[in-house]
Amino acid sequence: MIRNAKRRAALIAVAGTAILGIGLSGCAGGGGDDSGDSEGRTLRVWAGSQTPIEANFNPFSPSVLHAALGPIYEPLFFYNKTADEAPAPMLGESFEYNEGGTVITVKLKDGVKWNDGEDFTADDAAFTFNYEPNHRDGLVSAEATDDTTVVLTYETPQFTNEFQILGTTWMLPEHIWSEVEDYTTFTDEEPVGTGPYVVDKVTDASYTVVANDEFRDEGVPAIKKVQYIGIDANQSAQDLLTAGELDWTGMFVPNPDSVTSNGVISMLNTPQDPTVLYTCSNADLGCTGPQTDVAVRQALNVAIDRGTIKEKAFVGLTGDISPTFALLPRDQKWVADPANEVSPQSPDSAAAGEILEAAGYAKGGDGFYAKDGAPLELSLVSVDGWTDYNDAAKLISEQAAEAGIKVNASTVQWQEFSDARQTGQYQLIMGGVIGTSVADPFQIYKDWFIGESTSQVGQEVPAGRWNFSRYDNAIVNEAVAAAAATNDEAVKQEAYAAVQAEIVRDLPYIPLVINATQTFFNTKDFTGWPTEDDLYAFPPAWGSVASGYVLQHLEPVK
Amino acid sequence: MKFYARRIAFYVVTLWATISLNFLLPRLLPGDPADILLAKMQRAGGELTETTVRNIKALLGGDSSSMWEQYVAYWGRMLQGDLGVSVTKYPTPVTELIAAALPWTVILVGLATVISFVLGVGIGAWVGWRRGTWVDHLVPFTTVLQSIPYFWLALVLVAIFSVALGVFPIFGGYDVWAFPDGPEWSWEFIGSAIYHGFLPALTIVLSSVGGWLLGMRNMMVSTVSEDYIVTAEAKGLKPMRILRTYATRNAAIPSIAGFSISLGFVVAGSIVMEQVFTYPGIGKLMIQSVQNSDYALMQGVFLVITVAVLAANFIMDIVYGFIDPRARHNV
Repeated sequence: MIRNAKRRAALIAVAGTAILGIGLSGCAGGGGDDSGDSEGRTLRVWAGSQTPIEANFNPFSPSVLHAALGPIYEPLFFYNKTADEAPAPMLGESFEYNEGGTVITVKLKDGVKWNDGEDFTADDAAFTFNYEPNHRDGLVSAEATDDTTVVLTYETPQFTNEFQILGTTWMLPEHIWSEVEDYTTFTDEEPVGTGPYVVDKVTDASYTVVANDEFRDEGVPAIKKVQYIGIDANQSAQDLLTAGELDWTGMFVPNPDSVTSNGVISMLNTPQDPTVLYTCSNADLGCTGPQTDVAVRQALNVAIDRGTIKEKAFVGLTGDISPTFALLPRDQKWVADPANEVSPQSPDSAAAGEILEAAGYAKGGDGFYAKDGAPLELSLVSVDGWTDYNDAAKLISEQAAEAGIKVNASTVQWQEFSDARQTGQYQLIMGGVIGTSVADPFQIYKDWFIGESTSQVGQEVPAGRWNFSRYDNAIVNEAVAAAAATNDEAVKQEAYAAVQAEIVRDLPYIPLVINATQTFFNTKDFTGWPTEDDLYAFPPAWGSVASGYVLQHLEPVK
Repeated sequence: MKFYARRIAFYVVTLWATISLNFLLPRLLPGDPADILLAKMQRAGGELTETTVRNIKALLGGDSSSMWEQYVAYWGRMLQGDLGVSVTKYPTPVTELIAAALPWTVILVGLATVISFVLGVGIGAWVGWRRGTWVDHLVPFTTVLQSIPYFWLALVLVAIFSVALGVFPIFGGYDVWAFPDGPEWSWEFIGSAIYHGFLPALTIVLSSVGGWLLGMRNMMVSTVSEDYIVTAEAKGLKPMRILRTYATRNAAIPSIAGFSISLGFVVAGSIVMEQVFTYPGIGKLMIQSVQNSDYALMQGVFLVITVAVLAANFIMDIVYGFIDPRARHNV
């Protein structure tokens, strides 16, 4: 009897605790909603932060919180990376280059204030460009010639650096940052910016920004409060979206219908970054293996079934890639030869065989090609746990086998992958290429294809450059240098035509797909999001600059 | 007295060894934090300007001083209570991160461990007492729960109770929407914290109760066949009195020893649980530090864990020496 009574008491206690918890939380939740009704509800965002969140709004810090970049600090102009259009004014009104491209004269907006009430002036802009971490190689001077004009002078033409200079340099208030002793350890917990929001509160689990009363545009932002939360597991974010508890994020969800079927959340897919096969292509710089033979790369290129890879490995969400690495349709005008608009989507084993046979390979009894007794066998690695890449690698292995090329797919740890591509000790790697932020493939040509961006096998590629394939082609090097020195579209097109002819033939990176970028947002309670028809900004919540630009366009649904 | 002196000396040496190992192990791992951070930003699609790359290399680049110099400096800082600065959450001090995470882990995982132990031993004693009857089926049932992969159990519970039924929250240590200003001392907040801790605690209890239950049941079965139980029954004592006062007390001794060890591991948190539920604890710090080659944070977390385990062992040793004279004489 005693035993039973004790057990019953314990059960009641447990049940009671649970009910108490539910009841209290219900009250708390209700309270939160009520307080939001007066000026519209708080926008709830996951921009990729993981817990614990630490207050850090210093734009130079690698652990900077997302709200600093766009919602709080702003550059001079906004560049929409999803379209080929002129930059939109932010703090700058207009800018012009001198003929040689070495001097940029920027007109600033008048009457802009920092969120502490001080005026934003050309002196602040000049200070920013001269500030140590912003100081670009070749900057001669940055001077304020009057209250709203700043003149930037460089040693070399800066036509191709326009986006980096005007679109990614965060304007800093001189009266705050000139007092900062060490920008690397400064956490900037009360950031003074010009953007539409100011920091309200930072906790371990989330941080909140509220509308900036000093913001230059009347009535903007219409959303008065934005809360950014920290989540550690993608599954939690997906569950929160499904439950209608999260309003904006950018993340990969393989089955987006399960999230959007509640009628609250919509999805927008904006493929941006190419996925490719890196090949260590240059025997002169020390690459070894069959892939150093251009015929092998060409044969692989036609043997791959991109349609199947897109459907099976990337659940149909990726875009079709152009071997020129121009992002279509955005970069249409830069594709010289219409035949290069898109890589072949279906496999052609016969063509692959012809290419190999012309290069002196012969099919052996086992169905695989060989040359001079050496079998055509390649290793392909992808990072363990990047399941889309792992699946794609497996498919490529099967598809290559159809064409008589033996590709052994395996997975490696991230560190091994990083070392391999940095030092060039690999044959094939499933990897990504960073898409360009403006409607121009120049950055990819410069960072991924020219000799200056690579180094001998065994040494790391230069910091900030990504030429992992060790590709070094005099024609490409010259054409990229020529394109950098001009602002004349016709001259640039000619230079790009030369680059494209070389890289489409040589295939140092075998193009596969354009990776999906999914954005989920609440279209029931908020309007003004970018849409398929009006893609005025890159939509994901983690987008630098763009996220602040999108926030200015949002309004609560009445 | 000699016994205690010897024990204390032993633990001092062990502590020195673990702290030194703690210094060495992270340095044997491959990886450069700067590279990892850059590649992460690249994969996330962030803007990587030359300036950013230069800054990150400058901030997180490798330490070029010799191993011995680093080791000496490490001890110097350690003695001042300085565990360094985290790379993952640069430039937050490691001590701050650990201090913020520790209470959540200790309370949640600690309570769950206690509940799991009490339930396991209680039910185990009863099952052992009623051996051979239908209650024996509880044993395979709970061990099956224990053998289910932990993250999967957690995901299933979230899918059922949080997403489908909506009775429990999906993530977090408290309701971040209702408390945007962070933790506060109010009944609402404590209620929210209990409510948010329920599912994480449930997964820990479900997946660990089987071990306690099985161990206790088997001890109980062998204890019940001891002569003094037979004597007690022969003297006509009430079965309940035999169960509680004679059999359970003796059978529980090994479980209590195991319990004290598992209490030491409470500070290690429950890595998977904290990851799945975005629960603000130590386990998550550990996984983040390993992923980002964040040596300082890794060392800090490992230090706290090893010290806690050693402390639990030490207390157990002392207590054992106190309650069992044989332990004192045999060493």
